[in-house]
Amino acid sequence: MTSPSVTIRRRLPSVVTQVFLVVLALAFLAPVAWAVISAFKPAAQIINDPLGFDPSSATLDNFTRMFADVPIVRGFVNTAIVLALKGSLTLFFAPLAAYGFAKYDFRFKGLLFGTVLITLMLPTIVLIIPLLLEMKELGWVNTYQALVLPGAVDAFAIFWMRQVIAAVPNELLDAARVDGCTEFGIFWRIVLPVIRPALAGLAVLTVMNIYNDFVWPVVIASSDRMATLQVVLSSLAQNITGNRIGADYATVTGELLAAASIALVPLLLIFIVLQKHFINGILAGSVKG
Amino acid sequence: MTLAPAAQRAQAPSATSRRRPHRSPSRRKLAPYVFVFPFIALFLAFGVYPMLFTLQLSFTDWRGSGSAQWVGWGNYTYLLTNPAFWSSLGNSAVMWLLIVPVQIVVALLVAVLLDNAKTRMRGFYRVAFLVPFVTPLVAVAQIWVVVFDQQYGAVNSVLNALGLPDVGWLTTSMWAKPTLALLFLWKTTGFIVIILLSGLQSIDPTVYEASSIDGASRFRQLRSMTLPLVRRTLMFAVVLQTLAIFQMFAEPYVVTDGGPYGSTTTAGLYLYDHITRADLGTGAANSFLLVIVVMVLSLGFVRLLRSED
Amino acid sequence: MHQLRTGPRQSFRRSTAALVGALLATSALAACGPSITSGDPTPSGAATPGDTTAAPDPNTLQAPTEASPSGEITIWDRSGDLFKVFDAVIKDFNAKYPDIKVNHEAVDIDAKLQNTLITGTDVPDGVFLDDAKVAGFSQYLWNLNDVLKPYTADIAQQKLDVNSLDGGIYGVPFDLDPGLLYYNATALEKAGVDATKIGTYDDLIEAAKQYKAKVPDSAPIHLEQSAFLGQLQLEMYASQLGTSIADEKGQLRLDSPEYKRILTWLDTVQKEKLGTRAEYLSPSDIKPLDSAKEVFYPWAIWFDFAPQQLLPKTKGDWRAMPLPAWTPGGARSGAMGGSSFALPKDGKNSQLAWLFYQFLMFDPLGYQAVWGPNEVYPDGLNTSIPSYEPAADPAKPLFGPVEALGGQDLWATAVDAGSQIPGGAPIPAWWAGAVDYLGNNIQLMLDGKMTPDQVIEQSTKDIQKNLVDRQ
Repeated sequence: MTSPSVTIRRRLPSVVTQVFLVVLALAFLAPVAWAVISAFKPAAQIINDPLGFDPSSATLDNFTRMFADVPIVRGFVNTAIVLALKGSLTLFFAPLAAYGFAKYDFRFKGLLFGTVLITLMLPTIVLIIPLLLEMKELGWVNTYQALVLPGAVDAFAIFWMRQVIAAVPNELLDAARVDGCTEFGIFWRIVLPVIRPALAGLAVLTVMNIYNDFVWPVVIASSDRMATLQVVLSSLAQNITGNRIGADYATVTGELLAAASIALVPLLLIFIVLQKHFINGILAGSVKG
Repeated sequence: MTLAPAAQRAQAPSATSRRRPHRSPSRRKLAPYVFVFPFIALFLAFGVYPMLFTLQLSFTDWRGSGSAQWVGWGNYTYLLTNPAFWSSLGNSAVMWLLIVPVQIVVALLVAVLLDNAKTRMRGFYRVAFLVPFVTPLVAVAQIWVVVFDQQYGAVNSVLNALGLPDVGWLTTSMWAKPTLALLFLWKTTGFIVIILLSGLQSIDPTVYEASSIDGASRFRQLRSMTLPLVRRTLMFAVVLQTLAIFQMFAEPYVVTDGGPYGSTTTAGLYLYDHITRADLGTGAANSFLLVIVVMVLSLGFVRLLRSED
Repeated sequence: MHQLRTGPRQSFRRSTAALVGALLATSALAACGPSITSGDPTPSGAATPGDTTAAPDPNTLQAPTEASPSGEITIWDRSGDLFKVFDAVIKDFNAKYPDIKVNHEAVDIDAKLQNTLITGTDVPDGVFLDDAKVAGFSQYLWNLNDVLKPYTADIAQQKLDVNSLDGGIYGVPFDLDPGLLYYNATALEKAGVDATKIGTYDDLIEAAKQYKAKVPDSAPIHLEQSAFLGQLQLEMYASQLGTSIADEKGQLRLDSPEYKRILTWLDTVQKEKLGTRAEYLSPSDIKPLDSAKEVFYPWAIWFDFAPQQLLPKTKGDWRAMPLPAWTPGGARSGAMGGSSFALPKDGKNSQLAWLFYQFLMFDPLGYQAVWGPNEVYPDGLNTSIPSYEPAADPAKPLFGPVEALGGQDLWATAVDAGSQIPGGAPIPAWWAGAVDYLGNNIQLMLDGKMTPDQVIEQSTKDIQKNLVDRQ
């Protein structure tokens, strides 16, 4: 099949585009490479010789100290649990609700969607305390449900998916209806396949958001037992951000870089799997089919 | 988005069917309620409820314990008459100007290239551009401090080698914003690429086939075909980045702590300061003022992009 | 606020009334939120502590009476070397109290403590806290007056003062962080400058001028460029003069001859081009330090970490002495930074947590384990000294001589300096917020854009309006 922008690309000198992409990708990866390489340097050198690297002084000290000092394994397990639960909730219920918003009329639809937009615009940080008090009332502090449920079907996902589904032609849905599809069947067998590229995008962003989220987990998971990966990272980062008071911020920097390097690995693997779903022409296929 | 086919068909007689509610058996009437119910339940419990709570909080003076004092519009008038509040908005506005135009152009370019099956190593690039998004900010903040150091930073060394004077990247009000904007660009451009890419991939390839037969030049094709088709996606990206930039606090918090001279105290960081000082009422009022600003801006962009039709 | 509602615009007024009505309706919804009072600020009954029966004042902690009490406590510390040091002390503590189980957790205290205290769920029994933050949390913390009584006479006055509020003490004082003058002895000697003769800040300027005469591209004295640390250092100088940003009632006292004097001195260093202006241990700081361009560093004792780890070339050249005095014969040190241990009232076993801190700080086995040689620091923890005076005995050093300081007995120097620190005042809860005003204005002064008088006047005005008046 033909890719949409093949013709655009055909006339661009391929060397130029390749150089552009390579340079940009290197610029994007350089700081990360710095962090990963620095994780193998003696801690003090990270601070006093940040740009140098002497392979003969490479060491695993930062890693061994980090594993000894922080519950990073526990963090991985908790993050994986939250990722599985919250991720599947988002990826199923957000498109489903968005489908309802995009393709049906019902009472209070406008009001509800307006509220969605307002919560999207409200800085998360101000909702923390009210949510926290709510969790307290529910007795959910330091539980998985508190890590998973708030924000499980977030406003951003609804907003995006509604945009995407609104553009799915109604003829497609009507045709399915004529064929005897149930309303849910239309969603499952027509809408989801049609929006697959966007869904893959949502999957990537959802995974990243859950993986990266630390404001809420730090607050709600106050016990080590419930700490997610980002909570572990943030407890290390605390000594570095801001003001470097205290003596040993070099050591902590070393441990943080070690932890951050390790935290990257599973995510990269997930991406490599997910990115395969960005395949051209899926929509065209189903429209034509 | 999946706009393309629909947009084409919008010209067709079926245009009205998009607006018309589906009238048919009761099952179809019931369906949307069932579909949105799980979301609504979670949303009311963990979105609307805390939001109303916060709204109420914004009219009180509450320090996180004891009873809250009703202060009416006190928090709002305090903020609206405080130069620091306005300068935090101003800082964010400048950050917006520094970030959004560059980001949209670069991300669109990258997305178009990555959308192309003939571009080599697409998988690698897709991952490469996303890596910054998943790297904890504190882990890389140090490199910003080091590279942009005034006396010994790598950037100034290069400038010196070219015979140019030192620039106080992180120590002068003038340059601290661009330096931070660069960090934000680095961190979030991959995200915009993904959004745009998912929009591009929903374009019906036949649109391009037709136009390339016509022999349309590549730029004309980009301008007259691609751009209009991803316009909604672009608008979506702009609105999202507007939200993100006005709420931004981690970048300045980690790298400059709002300085020098408050020049990087963004709206988000200013708000965050109220919360860390346990001045929760002012924090709540501040966020609703921010919501209004962001809402006005977002509606503005939506209008702007629609009118260019 | 009221003028808005009584204004002429009726429609606005009506919609406001509607909004308020809606809000009142939602307040019923907010069942788990704070109760709202519309009248005068009656202080609501602070959260009732768990075990009030024995205590005459429900907010004052009492020591347990059993000989060997049992139970579990959760202790929060920041991650890092100090965490490991405290962790190692637990086994010594358990030798004395075998039935108390200590859950020691490394947490992001800044992010978590406030929220945990608000919810009152899984509150730790003891928590490591910057002195500057104690006052802000005092309503959640035990008043430690009674348990500390046997020790208060022997605790550095400055530490007691910063942890006090309205007659209560809200933290078990941990470390004392005396300000010292670090100097590159080797470089100064080579330039013919006798640093040991420095007795006052005027002498320091003279010494810096002499050094600069010999090493023209030097800028001998450190001038802090981070607004936060610059303000912290200013408070060190002020502490030396027995003052601080606010008095014990929370009233601002920036507008004083003491602050004028300090700021004028900093301004002079800058104007005479005697200062290296850089952020603490950024590359712009480390490079001149390690190439003997920056040779005087008036800072808290914890700067000694730099020569030990970050300055490979000048390691061993550095020495420390008490700070110069502002006037001949004046105090030779002031406090800069420092932390304490706070015990939240919602902790389940606060009394047992007290036993832990009592052991850690006041039992020789405890404080020797903290500052003495241990697994983490083979020569002992030398970035602070104990605030408990029997532990800070000049004759009985807990940590050994510091090699990076040419084998100097830093203990003796620091203990001597520490003993000269004048008393202080509680650090106001808005201290960090003041950085936006005072901290920034100091930097503007160092830029040559403000005079010392303007710094004082402008900062006083802004802090009063935005922080003090909004408490």
